[in-house]
Amino acid sequence: MSTFGALNTAYTGLVAAKAGLDAVGQNLVNANTPGYTRQRVATSAVPALASAGLFSGGVRPGQGVTVDGIQRLDDAGLDARVRTTSALSGYTSTRADALSTLESSLNEPGTNGLSAQLQKFWSAWGDVSNQAGEQAPAGVLLGEAASLVTQLQTGYRAVDDQWSALRGSLDGMAAELNTAAAAVADLNGRIRSSLAAGQSANELLDRRDVLTASIATLAGGVVRPNEDGTVDVLVGGNALVSGTTANAVKVAGATRMADAAADPARVEWAYRPGAAIALEGGSIAGAVSTLAPADASGTGGALAEAAAGYNAFAVTLAQRVNAVHQTGTTPTGATGLDFFAIDASQPAALGLSVVPTGVGQIATGAAGAGGTDGSVADAISQLGTGPDAVDKQWAAFVVRIGVASHTEKQQSDLADLATTSAVNAQVAGASVDLDEENMNMLSFQHAYQGAARVMTAVDEALDVLINHTGIVGR
Amino acid sequence: MISRVTNATQTLNAQRNLQLSLQRQAELYDQASSRRLLTKPSDDPTATASALGVRSDQATTAQYQRNVSNGDAWLTTADSALTSVETLMHRVRDLTVQGANDGAMSPEAKASIATELDGLKKSLLSLANTTYLGRTVFAGNSDAGVAFQPDYSFTGAPGSTVERRIGPDTTVRVDADGAAAFGTGASSVFALIDGTVSDLRGGVNVTPRLAQIDDRMKAIVGEHAEVGGRQTRIDKATDALAVGANALEAQRSSLEDVDLSKVILDLKTQDVNYQTAIAVTARVLQPTLMDFLR
Repeated sequence: MSTFGALNTAYTGLVAAKAGLDAVGQNLVNANTPGYTRQRVATSAVPALASAGLFSGGVRPGQGVTVDGIQRLDDAGLDARVRTTSALSGYTSTRADALSTLESSLNEPGTNGLSAQLQKFWSAWGDVSNQAGEQAPAGVLLGEAASLVTQLQTGYRAVDDQWSALRGSLDGMAAELNTAAAAVADLNGRIRSSLAAGQSANELLDRRDVLTASIATLAGGVVRPNEDGTVDVLVGGNALVSGTTANAVKVAGATRMADAAADPARVEWAYRPGAAIALEGGSIAGAVSTLAPADASGTGGALAEAAAGYNAFAVTLAQRVNAVHQTGTTPTGATGLDFFAIDASQPAALGLSVVPTGVGQIATGAAGAGGTDGSVADAISQLGTGPDAVDKQWAAFVVRIGVASHTEKQQSDLADLATTSAVNAQVAGASVDLDEENMNMLSFQHAYQGAARVMTAVDEALDVLINHTGIVGR
Repeated sequence: MISRVTNATQTLNAQRNLQLSLQRQAELYDQASSRRLLTKPSDDPTATASALGVRSDQATTAQYQRNVSNGDAWLTTADSALTSVETLMHRVRDLTVQGANDGAMSPEAKASIATELDGLKKSLLSLANTTYLGRTVFAGNSDAGVAFQPDYSFTGAPGSTVERRIGPDTTVRVDADGAAAFGTGASSVFALIDGTVSDLRGGVNVTPRLAQIDDRMKAIVGEHAEVGGRQTRIDKATDALAVGANALEAQRSSLEDVDLSKVILDLKTQDVNYQTAIAVTARVLQPTLMDFLR
């Protein structure tokens, strides 16, 4: 070991302690930065020089310490768990939100719902039956019938509007996904060159992890790391991000609920139009499934199914009332008249209208039973009760939506719990603990002081050797 | 691995716990202020189904109650008309008995009895045409405006009765059968009195008319009894519907409304929980090692 070897050893100590303090500083200032993962300076002891030659003489201490790198204390497994759980919670929360909005547009149970209006409608028929041929109850009946029709139309339009709004936000989500994918591709490039140049890419990795997590929330997907430090993001089996290339997605299909059956809203690759991406999770998948068209078994998209429910109810209402109304006769003797008409060019709920405009066109009585007979009106008022009541169809519709919303909310809650626990585990590993950093700061500070002291000691020893040696007796 | 605890996890947990606590508080507050347990179907789909059914039953019951009170008015009108008719018929019979006393009665006295009988007939005809809200109570569903035309023809259609619904499967007839009570055309009570009047004026003995009058009175009393019977059914239905309405309201309330004392107690407890959570959070999150280093 050379004369000045110990000075160099002390110097490496100073450098290592300084690097450690720098890392502590970086951790402390980023304690609240979202997505920041704590870092450590990795050091290792430099071994003693191998002895060469005959007169190497004796055992030698090591040569000091080297800074090997700056470690990023993340856990790929926990990161993957966060992505998986947030894909599921993105999917379920989008669906639960849609159903919750849908059921609140029903205003059931209560005095403002369609069921209450339906009951007023039947009661109005009862009053018409009590005073058949009178102007006043007939006027009330026509008013209640018009309100009923309006309320059905309002309900249907609310569903239609919700569909359009969700379709609009699907476009927004797809744009967000494309932006995130492009950013990941860009970061991939920068990380690759940083790593190739032997620099630390920790902060870039943090930013990329935040982006891949938000991609997972939007569209699910799998993140696959590559040798060169880049990651590929696979969505529906195809690469959304591959190295430094991002493939854009776009939303295709109907922009109105009425067209959804023929041309369902879907997400496709921009480079391969016509083929829908089978998303595994994420809020985009949730939105696409909510926007799906209705099917025969009632398991289609929640919104289209609700619209179909409104239509089916409008048809039933019109058919049941008309069937009885046609058997009756008006005060002027006309028979076979309809009470409700449905415009076939529109969805049934929107095309429903009330035919009679005055008391003279309402068939209240049976033919030949006298001009003020109200037996047919009474029979119509009875359509609202009994085991085969028209109301029951509406109640079943409301309960169906209620059950779906309830189930979806439970699933969403469970998915949120899983996400919370995954995020907690991730944060527990990756976040900065102020106490720990303070401890590290102290130890690096002392290490620095110690190294400086070694330097001083060597300096003094050399001083003795150089300046005070050979002056005995002078 | 025991998970590492850092300031960040502590903050995260504190945030989540406070948020949960606040959500629960908001939910309870919502229930306490709206006093409704069931605000949307997903709160409890099963209870929603029941609540919709109960509300439908309530509306139906309310309609039956309106029907009953309408029917009650019809029957009361018919009842009071028939009571007056019976009084008049007693007078008709008394006068006819007087007029049958050929020996004691002068033609002038018989003429004055005939005049009074004529007046009574007109009163009877007007009673037979009694209306409720513009509808004759003795002529079923006729829209002619009168039950008996001036020629004593009956305007009601045979078998056409006025029914009021008092239950899902039950209706009550609320009109009185004018044809049965008063007879129609030549066999009507009006024609009978006309005949008596012309007999009195023409000097024919009216004794045979007495039996016919008695028959007619029996028919009227019989019809009156039937009206009374229906009135009883209507009264019973009124009571039953009132009881039913109360029971339905109790059911609705138990399905939809909150137990206020329970909610207030829960809210109070939740309030304490929340305040505790805030206080604890404030104490836990504050200190770090930095506070103790020089």
